[in-house]
Amino acid sequence: MRVWQPGSHLSMARGAQVEDWSWKRTLRRVSTLARLTAPYKARTALALGALGAATLTALAPPYLAKLALDEGVRNQDFGLLVLVVVAFVVAGALNLGASSAQTYFTGWTGERILADLRKTLFRHLQRLSLGFFERNRAGVIISRLTNDVDALDQLVTDGVTTLFQSTLILIGSATILFFLDWRLALATLTVTPLMMAGTAAFRVYSARAYRSVRERLGLVTATLAEDIAGIRVVQAFTREPASEENFRGVNSRYRAANHRTVVTNGLYFPFVDFLSSAATAVVLGYGGWLYFHGQVSEGTLLAFLLYLSNFFDPVQQLSQLYNTFLAAVAALDKIMDVLDEEPELRDRPGAVELPRIEGHVRFEGVRFGYGDGPDVLHGIDLDVPAGTTVALVGHTGAGKSTIAKLLARFYDPREGRIAIDGLDLRNVTQESLRRQLGIVPQEGFLFAGTVHDNIAFGTPAATRENVARAAETVGAHEFVERLEDGYDTQLQERGTRLSLGQRQLVAFARALLADPRILVLDEATSSVDIGTERKIETALRRLLADRTAFIIAHRLSTIRDADLIVVLEHGRIVEQGSHAELMARQGLYTSLYGDWAEVA
Amino acid sequence: MKEQRVPYRRTFVRLLGFLGPYRWSLAVSVALAVGSGLAAIGLVWVTKDVIDEAIHPRDERMLWIFIGVIVALGTARALLMMGRRFISGRQALGVEFDLRNALYAHLLRLSFRFYDRHQTGQLMSRATVDLQTVRFFLGYGLIFFFQNLLTIVGVTVVTLVLEWRLALVALAFTPFLVVLAYRYSHVSHPILRDVQQKLADVATVAEENIVGVHVVKAFAREEQEQRKFERASESVFGQSVQANRQRAIYVPLLAFVPLLAQGSVLLLGGWMVVNDTLTVGQFFAFNLFVTMLIMPLRMLGMWIGQAQRATASGERIFEVLDAEVDILEQPDAAELPAGPGRIGFEAVEFAYGETPVLAGIDLEVEPGRTVALIGHTGSGKTTVASLVPRFYDVTAGRVSVDGVDVRDVKLASLRREIGIVAQDPFLFSATVRENIAFGAPWATDEDVERVARLAQAHEFVAELPAAYDTMVGERGITLSGGQRQRLAIARALIMNPRILILDDATASVDATTEAKIRQGLREAMRGRTTLIIAHRLSTLALADELVVLDRGRIAARGTHDDLLTTSAVYRQIYEHGLLEREFAERVEATA
Repeated sequence: MRVWQPGSHLSMARGAQVEDWSWKRTLRRVSTLARLTAPYKARTALALGALGAATLTALAPPYLAKLALDEGVRNQDFGLLVLVVVAFVVAGALNLGASSAQTYFTGWTGERILADLRKTLFRHLQRLSLGFFERNRAGVIISRLTNDVDALDQLVTDGVTTLFQSTLILIGSATILFFLDWRLALATLTVTPLMMAGTAAFRVYSARAYRSVRERLGLVTATLAEDIAGIRVVQAFTREPASEENFRGVNSRYRAANHRTVVTNGLYFPFVDFLSSAATAVVLGYGGWLYFHGQVSEGTLLAFLLYLSNFFDPVQQLSQLYNTFLAAVAALDKIMDVLDEEPELRDRPGAVELPRIEGHVRFEGVRFGYGDGPDVLHGIDLDVPAGTTVALVGHTGAGKSTIAKLLARFYDPREGRIAIDGLDLRNVTQESLRRQLGIVPQEGFLFAGTVHDNIAFGTPAATRENVARAAETVGAHEFVERLEDGYDTQLQERGTRLSLGQRQLVAFARALLADPRILVLDEATSSVDIGTERKIETALRRLLADRTAFIIAHRLSTIRDADLIVVLEHGRIVEQGSHAELMARQGLYTSLYGDWAEVA
Repeated sequence: MKEQRVPYRRTFVRLLGFLGPYRWSLAVSVALAVGSGLAAIGLVWVTKDVIDEAIHPRDERMLWIFIGVIVALGTARALLMMGRRFISGRQALGVEFDLRNALYAHLLRLSFRFYDRHQTGQLMSRATVDLQTVRFFLGYGLIFFFQNLLTIVGVTVVTLVLEWRLALVALAFTPFLVVLAYRYSHVSHPILRDVQQKLADVATVAEENIVGVHVVKAFAREEQEQRKFERASESVFGQSVQANRQRAIYVPLLAFVPLLAQGSVLLLGGWMVVNDTLTVGQFFAFNLFVTMLIMPLRMLGMWIGQAQRATASGERIFEVLDAEVDILEQPDAAELPAGPGRIGFEAVEFAYGETPVLAGIDLEVEPGRTVALIGHTGSGKTTVASLVPRFYDVTAGRVSVDGVDVRDVKLASLRREIGIVAQDPFLFSATVRENIAFGAPWATDEDVERVARLAQAHEFVAELPAAYDTMVGERGITLSGGQRQRLAIARALIMNPRILILDDATASVDATTEAKIRQGLREAMRGRTTLIIAHRLSTLALADELVVLDRGRIAARGTHDDLLTTSAVYRQIYEHGLLEREFAERVEATA
């Protein structure tokens, strides 16, 4: 009953591997779960109580059937028979109530724990620094919040109940059987070791088989997803026959893997059935012989047969549980790893609020590298007076975006310092810094929500007029008004309903509304149609007025209009100055400029 | 996808049609199921005899004989079940295999018109979720249904024969159980589906937050994001608790109802034993038969729900399978004859349903020439180019390659002669080599490298971890827009096509890369007829002739100089200050 999600096939082919079974780790797992359960002690207790009651009442009926036969029917005591049957129905009714309560409370607590876990995990992720998100693929992080929590879901809601209930029923039934007649019980339960051995073997083979089914199904889905996404290429290159053949291959490998599960299931389930016939034969054969010698009653035989009809289910369920359990532990480990991540950047103990800034930015001997990697910036010195528009130019990988990230303090430099209005960034709170900083990423990222929400993303308190004015200023108002619900139009996931240019204008409006003192802008490289292009230029000019701006520039007009052009090469500033100055120098800028001039 | 109600029963019957090729193995599994069902009933019957014929008369010899019969029946049942599982399992997998292949093959043949209307996600959900539902039903649901029905009918008949009055009382609960199980499945399914949907929403919020983490952090919006996520997560909780409540009501009830039947068997049966109208063995048998019915009855109720869902899923799958393949080859279609690569548009009109897109397009592109199509978004540039490889068919008029109407030739022979580079090229999860040789899998390593050099891709490919054997695409390393562009150009060139179609192949790359690509293109275009859809002036410079499109019509055509004087639309585009300057500068530079 899963709903297909984009990218879900990418995480499908994962197996449950638990590496660390040390005591310490296990203890931590248990304490993590216990901490999550702690707020719901009362309900957990209720669930456990109900579970005990449900198990006890579930064990009663076969025994009562024995009583009905031996005491009521055999003694021709009809009154007693009625009494026993009433007890039988009452036991059933109690079971109804108890298992209802148990299902409800376990389910509630389980879901509550998961919701709390998701919340905690998400909150923790919000605290982590950008470095974490750049080191890990987005899909992997998302899967911690989705797939891994789901894997725990199976354990928390079903697994724990099954574990307790099946164990209790097994122990309870066995105890009653021994109480009824220990010899017959011993004889009957001889099939149990066979059952366990068979189940254990089945578990190993079927887990292996299902893993390969999952992997190959993942491949089928991935192939399908990719070929549908790339169907135009397939058709353009007339690759239909080859693609079809390839798909048949993937599909038939999946079928072959699945066939192994047919074989394991086909052997195992009839085997279980055979064992139950064998157990019946033992009960009737040995039990009959005991009956001949007056050792057991008919009622005992009936009770044995009825207990046996429920006896094998718990054994099977318990063995199925093992896989769920492994998957859940593996998921829990991954979640705990994320929770163990510490934000690399924290506010210093004495960090101050950054006062309203003028916008004078200084980089002093800044050296920086990602993680343990080599330096990507080698001694950057840069002095940007308030109100200056700085264009950062250079080849891909020259260090342009790194400078922008350091300015927003997504990272701290390895050496040297960055100061705004003379205050070292490390001495101010991150929140107060970012509130006065506007960042416009390349693709103008939009969130699902209305146009209004998207523009007011950084300033939720903004009125409709404020939003409209900001849109007006950057020239977005016109097209927003033309959308069917104006500012209330719902944008789809990642804003796919708007064109690239429109998305950029919305991102500009968002930055303008936030009215940052310092603006960091990564200019889009994608070209848009010419009308929009001109709008973007105008919008940009308005956005840049009266504030310090760092632009990772790709547009010729932007570069030429900048007050200061900083040319980067291999993490060093090689030239800086105005367009005219740099052109006169005939250096790297002049050659880069040649490229732009041709393109623009 | 449009919701058009197909008669329920017809869809159902059509689904059964997929079992057609497997009717023999189906018949055999049914026979085996009958056999194992009879053996199961026989086991209880023999239990009765053990009590009445052996244990009661204290006949030890008979006891051992019956035990032998039980073991024999138990073995027979296990073997028959094993056979049934092997055969029906194989058949189930076969049906799934066929269904999936059929769906895939059909998807391959559907034209761009279909894919313009349907999103990948939608189609995927049909090809995975719906297909899964259908295959489960056809593969396992039907045979289980049959087996359960058989058990129910068999037990009913046998108990009625044994003692019809007691049977009527014992079986009185059966309809309730079926109805209850059906209601449970009916009530819980939409809720469970909703839970899944809400989980998907949680995933969406999480994905957005994590993919957009730069923006979230930049605007210090962590708190609001947290609230948004919690709202989504709480609604999963609410819905799950709802589902759980249903479970807490129905599941215990499903266990309780048969208990009432067992109670009445104990009471009435016990009374009958006391009055000597029932033997103790029969009393045993009734108790066991009631136990034996519980599972099949519950399954039957669930099966009805399953069948309904499978039919609904089947409908959605048939919507795809029934989607018309509108680009068809003529029965007598010939290979595209050899030629220099002349493209002709004659009075071409094209419409999307009722919406006209192109009107009165007349255009002749001489072999070896390069024509750039320019115009605002929505002016029809891409559509014009898409008509040549026959991704769409014209509504009126004709499109020809070397004088032959594209509708008269074999599709493969036409498309093999046209190399296409899209604006945002799609690469497959395969090696660089496989991606370049996509249309020509027989190409040698030398061919691949040669076209990669032509497309200015060799340099960066050589620096990849495994060079040409590096995996790219969704499951491989991520390439930049410009790198993908160049691979796409190489991919088009390896086919050595007569005609090249470049949909603004340099839109999303930075200036330095663009210069490189353009250099590659110039090489690539030599000796081929080329259509370029252009946004940038630098791209226009590659063209011999410019065609200005405006609202689906050709507004003007000619060289840059012609158009400056003749076309207002072109002037508007050109007068964009920047371009003017650059042109002037370049003219100076080349002068």
